[in-house]
Amino acid sequence: MRKTIIASLAAITLSLPAAAQEFPPGQVEYIIPFGPGGESDITARMQQPFFEALYDEQLVVSYKPGGGGAVGWSQLNSMAADGSVIMGINLPHIILQPQQGNVGYQTDDITGVYIFHYTPDAIVVPTDSPFQTLDDLIAAAKESPRKITFSGSGKGTANHLAAIRFDQMAEVETTYVAFKGTAAAVTAMLGGQVAAEWGYTTVGVGQGDQVRLLAVAMEDRHPAFPDVPTFRELGYDLVSGAYRGIAVPRDASEETRRAVSDTIGKINADPEFQKKMLDGGFALTDVAYGEEMDAWMKAKADEFIPAARAAGVID
Amino acid sequence: MLDYLFAALTPLNILLAFAGVAAGTIIGSVPGLTATMAVAVLVPITFGMTPESALILLGAIYTGAIYGGAYAAILLNTPGTPSAIGTTFDGYPMAKRGDGDLAVTIACLASLVGGLIGAAALLLLAPPLATAALAFGPVEYFWLAIFGLSLIAALSTRDFLKGLIGAAFGILIAMIGVSEISGEVRFTFGSTTLLGGIETVSALIGLYCVPVLIELAARSERHLQEPEATRGFRLPEAFATVMRQKVNLLRSSVIGTLVGALPGAGGSIAGLVAYSEARRSDRRQPPYGRGNPGGIVATESANNATVGGGFIPTLVLGIPGTPPDAVILGALLVQGVRTGPTLFNEGSSIVYTFIFGLFLATLLMLPVGLLIGRFAYGSIVRAPKAGLVPVVAFMTIIGSFAIRNSLSDVGIMLVLGIVGWVANRRGFAVSPIVLGLILGRIAEEGFVQSWTIGEAMGSVSGQFFGRPLSMVIIALTAMSFLYPFMPALKRILKRGGEEAMPEKSEASDPASRAAILRDLAGIGTMAAVAIIALWQCSTLNLEAAVFPRTIATGMLVLCGLAALETILTRRVVEDRSSGSLPRRAGVPLAMAAGIALAPVLGFAAAGIVMAAGLMLCAEHDRRSARGWVILGISTAAVIVIFTMGFREALMVPLPRGLLY
Repeated sequence: MRKTIIASLAAITLSLPAAAQEFPPGQVEYIIPFGPGGESDITARMQQPFFEALYDEQLVVSYKPGGGGAVGWSQLNSMAADGSVIMGINLPHIILQPQQGNVGYQTDDITGVYIFHYTPDAIVVPTDSPFQTLDDLIAAAKESPRKITFSGSGKGTANHLAAIRFDQMAEVETTYVAFKGTAAAVTAMLGGQVAAEWGYTTVGVGQGDQVRLLAVAMEDRHPAFPDVPTFRELGYDLVSGAYRGIAVPRDASEETRRAVSDTIGKINADPEFQKKMLDGGFALTDVAYGEEMDAWMKAKADEFIPAARAAGVID
Repeated sequence: MLDYLFAALTPLNILLAFAGVAAGTIIGSVPGLTATMAVAVLVPITFGMTPESALILLGAIYTGAIYGGAYAAILLNTPGTPSAIGTTFDGYPMAKRGDGDLAVTIACLASLVGGLIGAAALLLLAPPLATAALAFGPVEYFWLAIFGLSLIAALSTRDFLKGLIGAAFGILIAMIGVSEISGEVRFTFGSTTLLGGIETVSALIGLYCVPVLIELAARSERHLQEPEATRGFRLPEAFATVMRQKVNLLRSSVIGTLVGALPGAGGSIAGLVAYSEARRSDRRQPPYGRGNPGGIVATESANNATVGGGFIPTLVLGIPGTPPDAVILGALLVQGVRTGPTLFNEGSSIVYTFIFGLFLATLLMLPVGLLIGRFAYGSIVRAPKAGLVPVVAFMTIIGSFAIRNSLSDVGIMLVLGIVGWVANRRGFAVSPIVLGLILGRIAEEGFVQSWTIGEAMGSVSGQFFGRPLSMVIIALTAMSFLYPFMPALKRILKRGGEEAMPEKSEASDPASRAAILRDLAGIGTMAAVAIIALWQCSTLNLEAAVFPRTIATGMLVLCGLAALETILTRRVVEDRSSGSLPRRAGVPLAMAAGIALAPVLGFAAAGIVMAAGLMLCAEHDRRSARGWVILGISTAAVIVIFTMGFREALMVPLPRGLLY
């Protein structure tokens, strides 16, 4: 028993000068603050083999769901800071949750090192819907205010904020019905319980020819949907979605932060990875650690917070 | 079609199906390890396989895990997964009277039939059933949840009012945490521990298993009746029992398939609805809830039918029917397989090979399930109490940790266990609380969504009551609520009402003053919970507050009625069993110490400390020093093996602490 204590004490002492270590320090735990099966999990699983090919070390995906991600993020800074733990982060969650009440962390507590992709918001209708174009939908919404119902994933989420911002831009009033997750929102749309869905481009891939995308909130068209216009093309300056990235505990050294950032960047640059992501309906982004990340986070906060205030999600 | 059958029957696939069912059954038998987790853990292994083999392995694990949940339900009164809640109602009473082996075998046969019917529906009826499932909107999910709650009327025949109060309590605690559909933080009182809400599976473990552990330690009689001699699997007897239940078996399998095909429901609702229907139409003795094998047949066939049923929307629509399906869909996407309708239409070789693989896995469940079930039964029946209590307690702790890798969940599990034990003694049975906890969330979502849609359409009542499908569910719910009162109602109708109360005279003598005060204190505590909830609601936005406020108001009224009933009738329903108080208090204390020490000493070391305390609480026989040493070492060994298995094989980040 004493030997074990000495051994573990020795191990603790040895692991202290984490700053000097190389990344990865060994097996890396990749914590997803949601349950398995969601977009965060799927994209982590896509990164997994590429990480392992780069370093010949295991990338272990584990889950810490609860509170819409808040449970994981509130514990991030108490975890090992030597690069052996990284955690998925999601926007707008980490910007809005701390504004909504005591969720155990502030946005500034999260040390984001890379934003690697997003699922662009999109308006999705069933194939047999009378709405062929976005203009059809807007005309119907103008004719009968509030009667056009949209399903979407959650409140205060990318879908919800896109709905609010779009209503303002197009000067219409629609009804947003929050569902628990994208799958439930898609089900409601396919079943005709609502007229349309505020979903993501990934829905278009998953549902194939059962659905039609009216517009996507991207800068350029998505390669998987060359025929679907962007909102910008149609005159609405809406580029948004659910952004996903990687964070490390606050105590991680500058070297570790950069090393993790570089790693994710390398995976993002791999053509095979890019193809898999695009085929799945995801859109890649490259926001790396440093000033770039700070500026990007600030821009997103300026975008999300007023929309959330308009939605009544935050005071 | 035959090509696909042969493609499924390669030696590799048979091996994978076999290994998957065995691994799934073992994982599912540990309370806390759910089918979702079993599937998620094994996803990385499947990356190197062809999509067909990967699907067969994952499907086999899923099938096995759903069945494995029955063992803990029958032998420990603890549903290993929410799907097995209904199995505890009759399985545990059967095990108590010495028929645990029979119950396990019946569960295996029922699971087999349910699984086959679900898979057959997937093979033959998938596209039409998927379309039909889409007709289910938020309103229908709301009413389906209320239908599930109507089972309370059946489960709490002793005291209906207290059953309803318990359900309201369960619904309110389900509202704790961040509400996904309103974005508000509710009922956390500023605590970050409660932020993630009450995790359903850990709550189930606490509410069902901790009271069992406390009572086990308190009394000296054996946990389960031990059979005089080994009786094998009792397969012919089980087969005969299941054959007598063939209508129930078929009906429950169909219910399971249909409910499984609904993306917003799952195994727990399927099992409860099937149980409720079985109970309503079966008058054989013993009654349901006291060890009628029909209850096991209904729940186990229905929950295994949800496996095939759940794959229907998963494969046809690309919408996961159940949480494990979501993981399987994700795994396919990572493999580069296009899921959704394209998969069903174009990737038919993958789909059909998989469906035949699912049949294969379900068939393999019979030998695998019987053997593992035999082992589980044997080890739990024969284990001495001083070994059983610490090992089961450790399993509850490690299981509730593993669900979300969270020590707070373990604490919540224990607290709810104590709450459940106290509530049960005051006459509030645990099952209504659990039903409220599980169905409350589904009911709230459906309620708020229907209300929003109804308002947009200008007709809220039309939305709730005007849809044909809803009306059918409402009618079924009304029947289910009224059924337990049918004998009384019939008597009233026949005799014109005046003499409707003869059964009251057979009730026990008026309770003592102290008992009435105790009862009123229990009801008062529940009323206080309702008042706190109402007070908290005042700070929330309308969407977040409307449902809990309605429930809390109703709960307050029910508490008033219950108090009035107690005072007027002077009858008290409570559970006052004998037993040693120090032993009872020792169980939760030792478990709390174990949980507190886990981050300091490490999971296994803290578990061993806890086990030592529990052994002292649970030991009633005289034991030699040598006996103690053997028992102590074997218990410690089990704890270390469990810890290693969780940490290394299942990749659960258990705290290591100073020791291990």
